[in-house]
Amino acid sequence: MSFEKVDKRDLYRCVSCGNCRSVCPAFEQTGRESKNTRGRILIIRGIYEGKLDDESVFDSINSCTTCGYCTETCPAGVNPPKLVEAARAGLTKTGKMTPTQMRIRDTVAQYSNTLGVDGDRLGWLKEAGLNETGLNETGLKEAGLNETGLNETGLKEAEGEAKTKIKAVYFVGCLDSYRYPQTALKTYKILKNLGAGLLENEKCCGSPLIRLGFDREAADLIKHNAEQVKKSGADTIIAGCAGCFNTLKNDYALEGITVTTVSEYILSHISELKDWLAAENSDIHKLDIPVTYHDPCHSGRHNRVFDAPRALIREIVGAGNFKEMTNIREKSRCCGGGGGVRSGYNELSLAMAKSRLRDVPAGVQYIITTCPLCLRNLSDAGGDIPVIDIVELLSMATEK
Amino acid sequence: MDHYEQLKTICEGRFTAAPSELCCYSGDGSQVKGCPDFVVFPKTAGEVSQILAYANKHLIPVTARGSGTGLAGGAVPVNGGILLDMSQMNQIISVDINNIQITVEPGIVSDRINEALKPYGFFFPPDPGSAATCTIGGQIANNASGMRCVKYGTMKNYVLDLEVVLADGTIIHTGSNCLKSSSGYDLSRLFVGSEGTLGIITKAVLRIAPLPKSRKLIMISFPSPENAGLSVSRVFAAGVTPSACEIMDKTSVSVLTKLDPNIIFPRDGDVVLFEVDGSKNAVDESAELLAKACEDISSSILITDDPAKMKEIWDARRLLGAAISKLDPTKTRIYVGEDLGVPIRELPAMISKVYEITNSAGMTPMIYGHAGDGTVHVGLFIDVLDDKEWEKIHATADKLHLAAIELGGTVSSEHGIGAARGMYLEMQCGPAFDVMKAIKKTMDPNGILNPGKLGM
Repeated sequence: MSFEKVDKRDLYRCVSCGNCRSVCPAFEQTGRESKNTRGRILIIRGIYEGKLDDESVFDSINSCTTCGYCTETCPAGVNPPKLVEAARAGLTKTGKMTPTQMRIRDTVAQYSNTLGVDGDRLGWLKEAGLNETGLNETGLKEAGLNETGLNETGLKEAEGEAKTKIKAVYFVGCLDSYRYPQTALKTYKILKNLGAGLLENEKCCGSPLIRLGFDREAADLIKHNAEQVKKSGADTIIAGCAGCFNTLKNDYALEGITVTTVSEYILSHISELKDWLAAENSDIHKLDIPVTYHDPCHSGRHNRVFDAPRALIREIVGAGNFKEMTNIREKSRCCGGGGGVRSGYNELSLAMAKSRLRDVPAGVQYIITTCPLCLRNLSDAGGDIPVIDIVELLSMATEK
Repeated sequence: MDHYEQLKTICEGRFTAAPSELCCYSGDGSQVKGCPDFVVFPKTAGEVSQILAYANKHLIPVTARGSGTGLAGGAVPVNGGILLDMSQMNQIISVDINNIQITVEPGIVSDRINEALKPYGFFFPPDPGSAATCTIGGQIANNASGMRCVKYGTMKNYVLDLEVVLADGTIIHTGSNCLKSSSGYDLSRLFVGSEGTLGIITKAVLRIAPLPKSRKLIMISFPSPENAGLSVSRVFAAGVTPSACEIMDKTSVSVLTKLDPNIIFPRDGDVVLFEVDGSKNAVDESAELLAKACEDISSSILITDDPAKMKEIWDARRLLGAAISKLDPTKTRIYVGEDLGVPIRELPAMISKVYEITNSAGMTPMIYGHAGDGTVHVGLFIDVLDDKEWEKIHATADKLHLAAIELGGTVSSEHGIGAARGMYLEMQCGPAFDVMKAIKKTMDPNGILNPGKLGM
């Protein structure tokens, strides 16, 4: 078995103490040691040592959402999600994979998105462009005014704006592009007024491939997007999805480029945002709505983005209307959607989401999050409280 | 019908023999290894009874396991056979405040018991460091306690009655719901600490205690480990029984301060964390007496009842086991020789001995533990990829165990003997070990229950 990516020291540092049993969301639902971090590590060792080579290992290794809660509690300092991803990579390299892994790999290869949508990734922008620039439908593409909306020869020029290189790009992500175009549009409308544009030809960030063990396949997407970023001239990438954010930040070698989240970027430009809103005869109206916030694992636990979304929410609804969930920040529980589990083990994934919904405090009207995958999985779990993106909340507050 | 089909039928399909699943049960937090042939997930005492009767008839080893958080291999099936994963028998059967007791199934996680008792103003005092994960069945089987046993006692003080399935499948009760009983041999205590070698616990009636109204933490630093050790007997002599009494040597403290430079620990020596609890007046008086008893042998004294500060200090203490590994990825804490115990007057001698043994092996130990009952936890760290370090650590652990016995102590205060420390039991117990073997032979004549443990 080729396990070249597996960190041998990390693999053998696990002392099997079992602390991870108290936090692993998959174990919580299944009660099976093989669906717990400790069990997974023992299985990975078994494969590494050539003692296990049958397909019974798949369900263990592929039912991990890579949420990283176990990393927080591990007394030995092991990073289990990295081991799981490395093991998946080792297995896929020798052709050992589940039908779901295969399907996702092939879908991304064919469509450059995880959803298998053959449509225009920036379809939502055309409409916006029409509304905001007066260009006709074919104008954006045919006139070469790009789908970025905002480079030197692009949308800004059409809008008669200054010929300046964009300082930041909004990386929309597959889910917002195709499943939540309204969120993409609202986000873009805000970010564009804070100096951000779009990549000319964004493709899937590669996160689903990397999490599922297809590093080589992801490399092409990484290369493509990295070139796009370079071409844009921006020094900041604003990711609209926690998974994209984590991948752009940690799996891309983007020298001199800051990778940030939408909430961080907006919060750091809040004065500019208010100035723009004032010019539009609007502002951020305080919404008297009790809300809570779900920390996406890939922006929160993996990258410590905890404060910015909370600060932005408080800015919108006031401190008194912001209620924390039972388990938050480093100890936030996973929505169950990540690591390919939503696709591969949907029932388990939704059970995790249902469990997470039990952390929601009483009396809130919305569950706010900053990741479309969390949003989708928590929504699909069937709770009574709507789950919305933080930008949707901001848009409610800025409506005239 | 073969074993596979038979066991599957008994547990209505809650069964596995898949290689990857079996592999997950091949170890615990110790270095003991052993893979089962079958794993079953019983839900009732009846199912356990059927499994044991079948195993006894066919001479198949049976090992019970809760969360597998043990540190001595007690739940590792070293001879293969059937592994009973008890974690699905995890219900609270009743909370009986009027009778000051709670009845639970063995697979319940310890912290869940305290969550259930809190609204009633009660708690279950034995509090092992793994309480968020370990099960009560494992806790009983290992007589596991924790930081507060110095005042509240260990597991054996809380077991009123156990439902136990014997090797031949017979189901018995070892006690009653009475808070005390003088009725023959104390079978409940026989099963506490028996590590699944005499029977399988399927239900437990446990005594509970009212939550204290008030707590104070007294953090005292000492110029030497000997003084730190001496403080414990001084405090008892002053008439104070602390609810916790945790010792941490200089190395442990410096590791914590490196991990978090803002931490409010003193930097000038070995530290003992004392806690007193009870009514407010009693707590105030105890804290004052305690501080006075240690005044002339200490370097600094901090008394606090600020919940935030107390939490910060206790959280840091709990981080200790993990701290070195987090600071240096090439150093992993290995749990061997980690659970020594001596009469408390021998505490300073034991601490000196630990330094002598580890330093001569070229190792730097972290020493911490529940000083109030003579527990000395030794943290040893190695590079897990270095075979020579493995040899060294095992040799060092052996010397530590022998040193504890020499001082009239024990090779395990609260983690159990399992397979990791079985070779020392006869030396520690003397002729009493033959009595243990006779009990085992009587209760499990075919030797199917957790073979290879307790040195048998």
